[in-house]
Amino acid sequence: MNDATQPPPVLVSMDGLRKEYGDTAALDGVSLQIRRGEAVAVMGPSGSGKSTMLNMIAGLDRPTAGAVTVDGKDLNGLNETGRALFRRRTISMIFQFFNLLDDLTVLDNVALAAQLTGVRAQQARQRALELLDELGIADRRDLYPAALSGGERQRAAVARALVNRPALLLADEPTGALDSHAGEQVMDLLIDLNQIGQTLLIVTHDPNLAQRCASRIVEFADGRIVGERTLERTP
Amino acid sequence: MSAVWRTARASMRRRRFQTAVIALVVMFSSGTVVAALALLAASSGPFDRVFAEQQGAHLTATFDPAAASDAQLESTADLDCVAEAAGPFGQLATTLAVDDDAAVEFPATIAGRDDPAGPVDRLDLWEGRWAAAEGEIVLNTAPADPGDPGAPLPVGATVRAGDGTVLTVVGHAYSFGQTADAWVTADQLEAMGPTAVQMLYRLDDHDTAADVEAGLDAVTAAVPAGSLTGAQSYLALKERISAELGIFVVLLTVFGVLGLAVAVLIVANVVSGAVVSGLRHIGVLKAIGFTPRQVVWVYLTMVSLPALVGAAIGTVLGHFLAAGAMSETFREAGLGNPVVSPWADAAAFVGMPLLVLLAALAPAMRAHRLSAAEAISAGSAPRSGRGLRAHRWLSGTPLPRSVSLGLGLPFARPGRTALTATAVALGVTTATFTAGLAAFATEIDGLIQRHEAAQIEVVGGPGGPSGATGLGDQETQDLLASLPGASEVTANLRMPVTAAGFVQSAELWFIRGESSRMGFTDQLVDGRWMDGPGEAVASSKTVHENDLAIGDDVTLELGGRTATVTIVGVVMGSGTGTVYADWSTLTDLTADVDGLGHPISYEVRLEDGTDPQEYLTALTGAGLTGQSTRQSDAVSIAVVGLATMFALMLGTVAALGVFNTVALNARERRRDLGMLKSIGMTPRQVVTMMVTSMASLGVIGGLIGIALGVVAHREILRLAAAASQIDMPASALATWNAPQLALLALAGLAIAIAGAYLPARRAARLTIAEVLHSE
Repeated sequence: MNDATQPPPVLVSMDGLRKEYGDTAALDGVSLQIRRGEAVAVMGPSGSGKSTMLNMIAGLDRPTAGAVTVDGKDLNGLNETGRALFRRRTISMIFQFFNLLDDLTVLDNVALAAQLTGVRAQQARQRALELLDELGIADRRDLYPAALSGGERQRAAVARALVNRPALLLADEPTGALDSHAGEQVMDLLIDLNQIGQTLLIVTHDPNLAQRCASRIVEFADGRIVGERTLERTP
Repeated sequence: MSAVWRTARASMRRRRFQTAVIALVVMFSSGTVVAALALLAASSGPFDRVFAEQQGAHLTATFDPAAASDAQLESTADLDCVAEAAGPFGQLATTLAVDDDAAVEFPATIAGRDDPAGPVDRLDLWEGRWAAAEGEIVLNTAPADPGDPGAPLPVGATVRAGDGTVLTVVGHAYSFGQTADAWVTADQLEAMGPTAVQMLYRLDDHDTAADVEAGLDAVTAAVPAGSLTGAQSYLALKERISAELGIFVVLLTVFGVLGLAVAVLIVANVVSGAVVSGLRHIGVLKAIGFTPRQVVWVYLTMVSLPALVGAAIGTVLGHFLAAGAMSETFREAGLGNPVVSPWADAAAFVGMPLLVLLAALAPAMRAHRLSAAEAISAGSAPRSGRGLRAHRWLSGTPLPRSVSLGLGLPFARPGRTALTATAVALGVTTATFTAGLAAFATEIDGLIQRHEAAQIEVVGGPGGPSGATGLGDQETQDLLASLPGASEVTANLRMPVTAAGFVQSAELWFIRGESSRMGFTDQLVDGRWMDGPGEAVASSKTVHENDLAIGDDVTLELGGRTATVTIVGVVMGSGTGTVYADWSTLTDLTADVDGLGHPISYEVRLEDGTDPQEYLTALTGAGLTGQSTRQSDAVSIAVVGLATMFALMLGTVAALGVFNTVALNARERRRDLGMLKSIGMTPRQVVTMMVTSMASLGVIGGLIGIALGVVAHREILRLAAAASQIDMPASALATWNAPQLALLALAGLAIAIAGAYLPARRAARLTIAEVLHSE
């Protein structure tokens, strides 16, 4: 049981993170901590380094200098297989363009992430079905992604991201490809998830999304953190 | 045009991997095409080609030097039937012992020739030089690598002739017509004391045994009576070579055709895949103002340049590879040194880039027709909605997810999948063919050589190497039977005989002794082996050519005497007019066998456990010379070697086809791969998925390839045999067994895995960040 007076433990820790592409520094000495249960929004103009930072936390790219620790794991010490296993067990990602497999049904897309960890097909489908039900698209389970609306696709992507119960959910412009109504639905979903304890890191251009979903906003410019503020979430 | 060139060059730089794949595939395919065409050309009539190259002797006659003068023999060159003649050359039947190892001794007929060239029997002096002085000798050996087992004595070695003369080997030459085992200068031979004089003739009419016999009759009539001591027709050699090589030639031709088919198929697949995968790029070019024609030119340039480079390198490599392999194969078989025709080089160098253009044209024209938006959409990913049912079913199976995803991948691009599977199938067909060829060659060797039934052959009688001993026919046979290790000795005399109703004269084998145990029974394709006087067995070609059937009587005629035999069986054989009859038939036809002047061949069956070499040594000690019957499988070994090289080349080309398909699939599915890695698919799982996608094709292609290979092997053998009018015993066709087929089934899998592994590894290392964050 956590002591209510103690701050939650740190889940993500970045220390002096630097990433160079040739002569250009995409990240220039970024240090940041995210605690369990937080919902952090990262904002900034295009090319400010926010997506690069997301890649570092997800283990999709390696920093030129500095360290990233997620859930106690130093990502610099992991090889490619170790990073894949880290992604499988510790984090999940949702993207602007959903990235669902066109050849699989919604149910199989969601079950896929569980099956990759070795969960049997039946069990994985059962868990996927429960998630789809919770997200309100269980009736779409046998359809293929092409037959879904944008909002439904993103819900399916969220279901896939949650199927392995990740410690951290990374969202890269999750409402960027959605109309306002679908965007609202996804925002509500993210808020609900955070309220039941899911740690969120959202990269977005959308101040509305940041304001509604995040408890803290980190602002990026030229590869550096230039501002940070804590929010009182609007109910 | 400069915009087209600049764009094409930039695109090639950007797609270095694909450009390299096109160059690599075209390179291997061009090499295969050169080898295939060269093989087709060299396989066409190998005997006639080499015999013509050497101006081989249609008739080799030996004379008693005491009975016919050189001038009389030289005058036979002017006979009407003689086109060219060479000789007289002194001839000595003796033994040669390796000087530094007296235990190694072999029989040899030495001829005295001052020149390896001449109008007839132009020798291939392939190592060293010709004998120019006394004490020098040139050995007759088929060209071979000095390091090979059984290679000839090296130049510089010394040998000791039967009369004690020590001779230094100064060169190796090859007489396709086997006119002698070694040559010395005419003076040297004179000093050693010739036992016969040799004349070599090329005849105007020489197609049939009767033609050659007529030539011999004319020569005999032109020299003093009784001076002819022996004669050898080239047809016997031709028959032996044809029997050994005839079917193989057909199979090698099939290899050539298969090589062409696989190369064409893979190139078409690779090039059309390259254009299809570039449709998005084509859409972008159109969107920024390129005309449809310019777009087509960009793509044709992009595939043609690497194709040209690949074709140039492949043609050169293929030329040298084919020249080396064919040289070894054909020279091992004593069939000269065929050159790779410039036409083969030209066809590959010009043909492959043209094929590439043709293969690229169809998808490029499609791109020509598509609007910019359609092209971008068509090129973004494989059309979804294909194979959904299969994906759904696979998702629910207990297979590891990386495996079930891999199994579903081929359904996304059915056309590409079909072409790749076909290439794998053809690769396996080739492997199956090769395995079948090897088994068939072993079986045929055993049947033709009959070395299980008789291990030693001794040629005696007039004109034969053993004639010098002075022993008569029966004395020779008795001597052979008396030597330690001999179990059974049979004798046979082969000669042309007139047979009533035959389209040509018959080539009779008169056999004395237990002929049923000489191995001919294994060659039976119909009826039974003869078991007494008055019975005969004919080769299948003889039966077909003369419309004979079992039970038919054939009347033989020789020198005015006749004998009738009944055909009781048919054996495999390509011999025109070949008939086997009992020795009593010969004695019915002539009272004076020795007077016929034909050599008698003795076959010795050894007791179990007897070393043939020990028997040969004992034979030499008794003044006779012989040879092991297990000598001439060089042909099949060489043919199988060549076939194996082809199977490996075609397997590599098929694997390159798989390589290309996986590379294209990975390129098209970058987004999916990125997503899978983002949700925790490990690099090993990515490799498993991509390799599995091709392994399934490997299994399917493998099974189809085996079926095709087995059926084609049998049918082509049957057709080839029918075309040559040769029937074969069932044992020659039953070359397959379950373990062998199981191994061959793995060949498809091996091709698929070998081709898929590298691009799968590359896909596993894909940098996923950028493909996931934007569209």
